[in-house]
Parts: sequence; C-alpha cells; structure tokens
Amino acid sequence: MSLTIHFTLNGSPVVFEVEPEERLVHTLRERAGLTGTKLGCGIGECGACSVLLDGKLVPSCLVLSAQADGHEVTTIEGLSKNGLSDLQRAFVEEGAVQCGYCTPGMVMAGEAVLRRYQRPTTRQIRAGIAGNLCRCTGYAKIVSAIRKTARRRAHRRSGR
Amino acid sequence: MLNFLRLSSLADVSEMLWADGPVSALIAGGTDLLVRPERLASARILIDISNLTELGGIGVTPDGDLRIGAAVTHQEIADDDTVRRHAHLLAQACAQVGSVQIRNRGTLGGNLANASPAGDSIPALLCLEARVALVARERGRAVPINEFFVGPAKTVMQVDELIESVRIPLRRGRWVSFFEKAGQRKGMCCSKASVAFLAQRHGDRRLTGVRVALGAVAPTAIRVPAAEAALEGQVLTLERARAAAEACREAARAIDDIRSTRDYRREAVSALLLQGLLPLYDRMRALARPRRRSRRRR
Repeated sequence: MSLTIHFTLNGSPVVFEVEPEERLVHTLRERAGLTGTKLGCGIGECGACSVLLDGKLVPSCLVLSAQADGHEVTTIEGLSKNGLSDLQRAFVEEGAVQCGYCTPGMVMAGEAVLRRYQRPTTRQIRAGIAGNLCRCTGYAKIVSAIRKTARRRAHRRSGR
Repeated sequence: MLNFLRLSSLADVSEMLWADGPVSALIAGGTDLLVRPERLASARILIDISNLTELGGIGVTPDGDLRIGAAVTHQEIADDDTVRRHAHLLAQACAQVGSVQIRNRGTLGGNLANASPAGDSIPALLCLEARVALVARERGRAVPINEFFVGPAKTVMQVDELIESVRIPLRRGRWVSFFEKAGQRKGMCCSKASVAFLAQRHGDRRLTGVRVALGAVAPTAIRVPAAEAALEGQVLTLERARAAAEACREAARAIDDIRSTRDYRREAVSALLLQGLLPLYDRMRALARPRRRSRRRR
C-alpha cells in the first residue's frame, strides 16, 4: 500500500507516492533526487542524514516519509540555492572537509546551531555537532568554520 | 503488508488499539521503533501520534500539577522555562538524551512506553514523584511512576491504553538537582549507568526531601532509600556523600550486557553520585560563607 504525501521541500511544494515504512532519507535521495543528504548508519547515530524538519535538526533515517506529510523539510541543497552558503564557504576556507561524507550533515547541524544561538560558544557548537560523526576526525576545523560563520553573521547584523 | 495511519483524536487511536492492538504499533518520534526491525516486522499498522494536539503542550493544571504532553520532545522539555522552574531535574535529564537530532524527535511518552531500564527521563521522574496519565476508550487513570514499570520493556499499560501526559506535583522552596550519566559517547549514547538527584535546600545548608534514583543498573530504574537516608535532614559533608555513593553501589543490581558489565555499572553509579554531589558540596559551602561573615559583623 503506498501513500500520497505532500510537503514543502526547500521552499517548494512536492508530492510523492511513498511506502508506509519508507524513511525520509530515501524519499529525498531516490524520489526527489537530492543526493546531498547521505545515509550513514541508518539508526540515528551518525548524523550524516541530518535535515531540518520544520526548522529543527532531525535524523532523516528515523523519520518516516509519511510523517513529513504537511511539514517543511530543508536539505543541504536548500541551503545552497544561490551557490555555496556562507557556512559552506567557511568549511572550504577552514579546510573542514576531508572525505566529505559527513559534510552535508555537519553543515546542517552547524546551520541549526547558528539559527539557535546568535553568538554560540565553542561548547554550544560542540554540543550542536555531537550527534554527527566525522571518521576523518576533522572536528577542530569544523568547529572553527561554524565559529567563523557566527562571527561573520554577527558582524553583518551589526553592520545593518 | 504495513499500513500507516494518522488519526485525528486520542479516542480514535484508543478505538484502533482496542480493535487491532496486537498488530498495531504507535509511532511518535520513531527513535526507538525505527531502530528495531523485529518490532516493525511484527506490526501491520503504524499509528502516527506525533501530530495529535491532545498529546502536546507543557503547562500547569488547575489542580497544581506540571503537565507535559506525551508527544513533547526531549529538546522541548530541556528548553522549556516552565519545566526548568518547576522540574529542573527533568530538563537536566532530557538535555542529556541522545544527540540534538534524537532529542528533536524522541518524546517523553515514548521514553516511558519503551520502558528501557536505561531511559534517561525515568530516574528524574522517579525523584520528582511523577504520575503517568493513561487514557483508553472512555476511561483514564494516573499511575505513579514507581508503579508504572514492571520490567525491561514492560509496563502496566493495557492494550488499548496510551500515555496522554506526565504529571509532576509542583514544589515550593529551593531545590537542587542533577542528572549524571555514563556511556560510550557523550554526544549520543544509551546510558550504561545514570543517577538522578533531587533535594530541598534550606538556609542552614540542610537537605531535606532527598531523592536518589538510578538508571540502567536494575530491570527498571530504582530509587535508593539508603542513599536518601544517608543525606536526609543533614548538612552535606564529604563523609555523607561517600556513604550515599556506597549505598548506590550496593543497590545496583546490574547485569553484564552488550553495553557494559555489572562491576563497571556498580562503580559508575557510585562515582556518578559523587560527581554530582561534589560541586553541590562546594556550592553550598560557598553559599554559607557570606552568611557567617554578616553574623560576625553584627
């Protein structure tokens, strides 16, 4: 039995036919063709599949696609509609990408931290990405990229 | 063949459970259900309760309880000012559940219904003497949290019952609390052992209403009356803290399993209690100092 679901994906309304047990990560990758979201562990422990659901960071491997019906989903593609976002650029500048598999999830987690705190402390940044594993272990540079973006955004806000 | 249903009221959900309870599974955050293929395989109907407004919300009821809807997430609880004011210990515990991703999905009701001996909210709710409000077709009951769990993954819930909310009696006075846990990975783990502590702090530095509860060291989370007695009505001293920690070690009926060993868990609960009590000891001494000085001046 398949279900018809409607939700907002990166700002646009979408409709998909999904299976009842289908996970959001599969709908995003296989049906929407948005392969930026990565499937890692499939049990909510690695953070590679992180997306924003109604603005909140969630593991898309543990969200049934049917549960996204009527909600708003933002993926890594949604953050970079007009080229790389400021946070992505900071990842590049700081060398915060090694193999790259964890990167989309890390950027989503970083974005969630930046939306929650205007001036996040290092501790808040670390706690915010604690659910994301980087097996290349490049955490220090990831934290600096997020911190740098926080500074730049604060600067932009005060400039206005 | 699996079916997915989103129902619009609690009454409908309960009707559905009454008719198809054995083959249906409730899903809210999905952080437990979706990592257990065997549970999913045995279900024919998934009932999504994450959107039910009746299961949402945090507030104070007319009869003076803090009410937290069953579908409220751990992150919402950790961030909520009303919870922080009236049941800070629960906010402390919920802030340490899983990662931010898991906290944004996992719900308080799910943590209870899942009934893992390692569920992080449970020792906190034991200390807070919470009640679990259950609803079924045209009936409801409130079960004290210490009577709710029967064993690992087992509760007193009937097939057509579901958790509506958790009720916590409001407290007067100044309270101190902490939740400490040990696990494989700080940012995201299932506890190997956990300790929740709650006590009322008085001007003369005495602690009363002391509650100590342990998670992951027995078939269900447990209170430790001997540890509570070691501290009750007393000024916190290092000797008393050590005695309470020893009582925790003795009370832990831990097992060896995939996550840890019996011996480690017994050591851990004792160390975790001390880890929480030592900063409290320092804080209470610091609080006491200016009072002494002002007395001398008089």
